Amino acid sequence: MERTHLKAFADAEEMEISFGPQHPSTHGVLRLMVKVDGERILDVKPIIGYLHRGTEKLFERETYNGCIPHTDRMDYTAAVTNNQGLVGAVERLMGITIPPRAAYLRMILAELQRLASHLVWLATHALDIGAQTPYFYCFEERDKILDLFEEYCGARLTTNCMRVGGMPFDLTPGWTDRCRAFIEQFPAKVSDWERLLTKNRIWRERTVGVGVISAADAIEWGLTGPPLRGSGVRWDIRKVFPYDRYDEVEFDVPIGTNGDTYDRYLVRMEEMRQSVRIIRQCLERLPDGPVMAKVPKIIKPPKGEVYFSVEAPKGELGYYLVSEGGDTPYRLHVRPACFINLQALPEMVRGQLVADLVAVIGTLDIVLGEIDR
Amino acid sequence: MSWWDKILAFIPLELVQGLGVTGKYLFRKKVTVQYPEQRLEPKDRFRGMFGFSEERCIVCHNCAKACPIDIIHITDHFEESVVDGKKRKKKVLDRYDIDVKRCMFCGLCEEACPTKPVAIWLTTKTYETAAYERNERLYFDKVRLQTWDGVLPFPGVKAPAEGGMPEDPKAEKKAAGGEGA
Amino acid sequence: MWAELAVTAAKLLVVATVLLTCVPIMVWVERRGAAFIQDRLGPNRVGPMGLLQPVIDAVKLFFKEDLTPGGVNPILYTLAPMVSMFVALVTFIVIPFSADAGVEVFGVPLKGIHVAPDLGVGVLYLLAISSLGVYGIVLAGWSSNNKYSLLGGLRSSAQLLSYELSLTMSVLGVVLVSGTLNLQEVIGRQGPEIWKWHAVTQPIGFIVFLVAAFAETNRLPFDLAEAETELVAGYHVEYSSMRFASFFMSEYINIVTISALTVTLFLGGWQVPWLTATLSGWPLLLVSAGAFAAKVALLLWLFVWVRWSLPRFRYDQLMQLGWKGLLPLAALNLLIVGMAMGQGWL
Repeated sequence: MERTHLKAFADAEEMEISFGPQHPSTHGVLRLMVKVDGERILDVKPIIGYLHRGTEKLFERETYNGCIPHTDRMDYTAAVTNNQGLVGAVERLMGITIPPRAAYLRMILAELQRLASHLVWLATHALDIGAQTPYFYCFEERDKILDLFEEYCGARLTTNCMRVGGMPFDLTPGWTDRCRAFIEQFPAKVSDWERLLTKNRIWRERTVGVGVISAADAIEWGLTGPPLRGSGVRWDIRKVFPYDRYDEVEFDVPIGTNGDTYDRYLVRMEEMRQSVRIIRQCLERLPDGPVMAKVPKIIKPPKGEVYFSVEAPKGELGYYLVSEGGDTPYRLHVRPACFINLQALPEMVRGQLVADLVAVIGTLDIVLGEIDR
Repeated sequence: MSWWDKILAFIPLELVQGLGVTGKYLFRKKVTVQYPEQRLEPKDRFRGMFGFSEERCIVCHNCAKACPIDIIHITDHFEESVVDGKKRKKKVLDRYDIDVKRCMFCGLCEEACPTKPVAIWLTTKTYETAAYERNERLYFDKVRLQTWDGVLPFPGVKAPAEGGMPEDPKAEKKAAGGEGA
Repeated sequence: MWAELAVTAAKLLVVATVLLTCVPIMVWVERRGAAFIQDRLGPNRVGPMGLLQPVIDAVKLFFKEDLTPGGVNPILYTLAPMVSMFVALVTFIVIPFSADAGVEVFGVPLKGIHVAPDLGVGVLYLLAISSLGVYGIVLAGWSSNNKYSLLGGLRSSAQLLSYELSLTMSVLGVVLVSGTLNLQEVIGRQGPEIWKWHAVTQPIGFIVFLVAAFAETNRLPFDLAEAETELVAGYHVEYSSMRFASFFMSEYINIVTISALTVTLFLGGWQVPWLTATLSGWPLLLVSAGAFAAKVALLLWLFVWVRWSLPRFRYDQLMQLGWKGLLPLAALNLLIVGMAMGQGWL
């Protein structure tokens, strides 16, 4: 009896912590089985599915426009880009070209959504690392973006603001002025947050060299979005497979060099500035005209299949649509950015400390709604 | 990097700078809205609680078909009447129920409504729909849809209980934005 | 004899009351200050400007169920918050809140608002007692039988032990110059002029002390023991009701203590340049007490401000800062002070 007790004591170096699903920094209901030796992480096993709603199955019984509100709820911090991917897939299968005004509207809204999503990321990431104040600054700015969404489409979070063939409504009068006023004051705010964080030595110590993933590994794991670009791969769907009118606007794709948390932070901060740049150009060029192409009342894409992806704030969001010619999709598979980015988490945190785990979860910018769907 | 620079780098000036940023925000005007006393007025297109008008409804079931989660239940029957010596069949609404507790406020029903102005609309600028008992309080039949009250309307907004709906924003939109879906 | 005892008891009562009143005020300042820094209003519903919010919080905690989870070590689990609270409270008796002023009450010399004025080893006593505080945290972390608590307790013990050293080393410089361990005399040696205060004569020691003070009180850049986003709540994750409140209160009392100590050791204590030297009797007592309170309040605000501005260190970085950064600096400070004394400058 005593011997087994002693043995248990000798083996007690390793400890398994169930990290989540009720944990302040798992960004929802992610559960991690963390094997630690003291504070050092030996292994991490993500356990997902707490937010599974069967969205892909639901798509199969919805009309195409009825699918759009369901996509709002996948990555609930970036509903617009979710909508954009779905309608883009259906439009590509049907061969619809949307009017230029609709395309520009989509770009403006998508970039605003990218700002909003990155603001949520910055807020929670900084909070995870212990800087509690940027949270509120970010959410204040995000609220202004959500106000713009509310004015355009009537909802702040679950926007449901696109339809197959274009946009459901035109802008309200004065919307462009308010949008312009917002993006004019926004870069100064980004500078404020950078002054709080970028050079801060505690912030740097917490992020430099944490959660490193090399460019080759990142590609192998299928990472997309800022986690991939932070490793130095210049890959942005907006540049490589331009959709809407992204080939008409000028913007840079920021990349990092070391593939660590700090570089991903810098990449996202720069992406915010680039989004502002895109919105500014779009507002200048926003053409007049209809916002809806001529589409039949009941949308029935021809038999066939299509893969269409957009650069969502979290990475590549792809829709693989198989149509049998009916008014509902035969199969609509979603290639979520977060789900695939999360898979690299064990690789990135192995051998680091518990505090780094939190930083890496934050830097991957996961949303469980999209992971579980 | 000279040794002097190294010593300078040791002094945490950027931490002081960070304190400066928070110190600056300390004296800014606050953006908090003190909720029960102050209320934010939703924008005109805000999708809130339902409004419904039985007179306008032509019982076409389009809203029920458009609803992605099938929460609109409509039953009807035909009534025959004799007007000017001719027999006329008319659809009459029996039930028009919305299971609001499951609603995700996507607004597709309003878009699908063919009448002008629309018979079902969400632009009532109401968001205080919390209830203690969801099955009773958040299941609206056609009478309650037209007469619900107990939420504070904003100036210029008429609740269905007051017998009106706001200016139809959809009509202008359609005029400005070409043909709709 | 009896009169002296009564005076001491009265002083004890006053100090303890003020201290325990400090906690809710501090909580209020922290919450409102954090809110204002963060562009919001904070608690403003209960009482004027939300001043009664901490009271309501306390009432709420008082009525919460006092839960003892299964699997804990009940004795240590109960003891831990008591240790924390006790240690936080008893450190205060050596801090001189005001000048001696030569005031007499009922024929007994009052010797300032200072519970134990004749304790010759004041500094030693303070350091010794405040290092006991780690026991409360370690016991809580261990006895809770929770992995997060355990990690919190471990972090905290390592942190407090290593920062205790830097703290003591930086105090050593002050003690060296003062030549006494009695805190009242330490203040007296600093003289009323600002350039004689130890914060000015020993800036390195002051900074080391301040940083170590943040670490000792588990405040944000160093709040690893609680680390809300990593360890949920660290060592007190299993505590509820008034036991949690004990930890909460002792944390705030510790902040007040360490601020009072900083003021005493480095910022001239209760002295106001050119003013306190001209006064005597009751005016001196009141003015000095007010000056002390004002200085402590400023430091407390610094604690709040820093907490809501800076991110948190990681465990190994904290150790590095403590052992490789602060300890050598404290030694350097000691060296400089010693050399300066040898030259007769201090």
